[in-house]
Amino acid sequence: MSFSLNMDFQFETTVEKLWSALTDSGKLARWIADNDFKPVVGHRFQFHHQPNEYWDGIVNSEVLAVEEPHRLSFSWVVGEERHTVTLILDDLGNGKVHLRLEQTGLSNKAALSGARYGWEAWVGKLEQVLAEQDAAK
Amino acid sequence: MSPNGGEFRSKRVSGAVSKVQQRDVFDAIADPTRRRLIQLLAEAEDLPLHELAAHFNMGRTGVSKHLGILKDAGLVKDRKAGRETRYRLDAAPLKEVQDWVAYYSNYWSANMMRLGQLLEEDEEA
Repeated sequence: MSFSLNMDFQFETTVEKLWSALTDSGKLARWIADNDFKPVVGHRFQFHHQPNEYWDGIVNSEVLAVEEPHRLSFSWVVGEERHTVTLILDDLGNGKVHLRLEQTGLSNKAALSGARYGWEAWVGKLEQVLAEQDAAK
Repeated sequence: MSPNGGEFRSKRVSGAVSKVQQRDVFDAIADPTRRRLIQLLAEAEDLPLHELAAHFNMGRTGVSKHLGILKDAGLVKDRKAGRETRYRLDAAPLKEVQDWVAYYSNYWSANMMRLGQLLEEDEEA
């Protein structure tokens, strides 16, 4: 088991323009990082972030799904972390497009301080537990 | 900002562990038995050892050992109530775990702000 990150965003644009921003290598470079992405299933590519003391900045990826203009999915591998990032576009009309970001497979076997830590679905309940705790104080 | 938690790791190393908290919270939750104990305690006010032990295929000694580890991490508090010891959850140290999760969420939030700007520029062009 692992846990997922789900985030929702809304943009004032068309679904075609948003799709282009998600699948054009040059545009991706402007909002994620330099890359050699191609919207072709099976294409292997890398994102090159600014390296720092702890990380070479490289994310190894492979395109998993390209369903123009609604769904894009690629793997996201950094060290021992193997995630899947999925972007889902939903045209709301009136020039608004909803974008859902799902990042799954987080920290199932994360290497933190050299140790392996298991994470399970209950982490999702964490905020609730913390909120209840705060409310009780 | 690094989406692999690298910065967070450095923070954890440089940040002093609080004096009362003798064990790393990440170590404490690394074990499935201890995660289940946290879950059980999260659902109740407090519980005695025999009620907690009933959920596991191990003796009370084993469960007690796991409770001790959670206690060292500051996740569990115990108190004597008559002849039994009752255990309750103190979820505050789990904030550290939540902070780690927040790294990815911050990473994407920052990216999405740039995406929004890019789309606006497209509109003007």
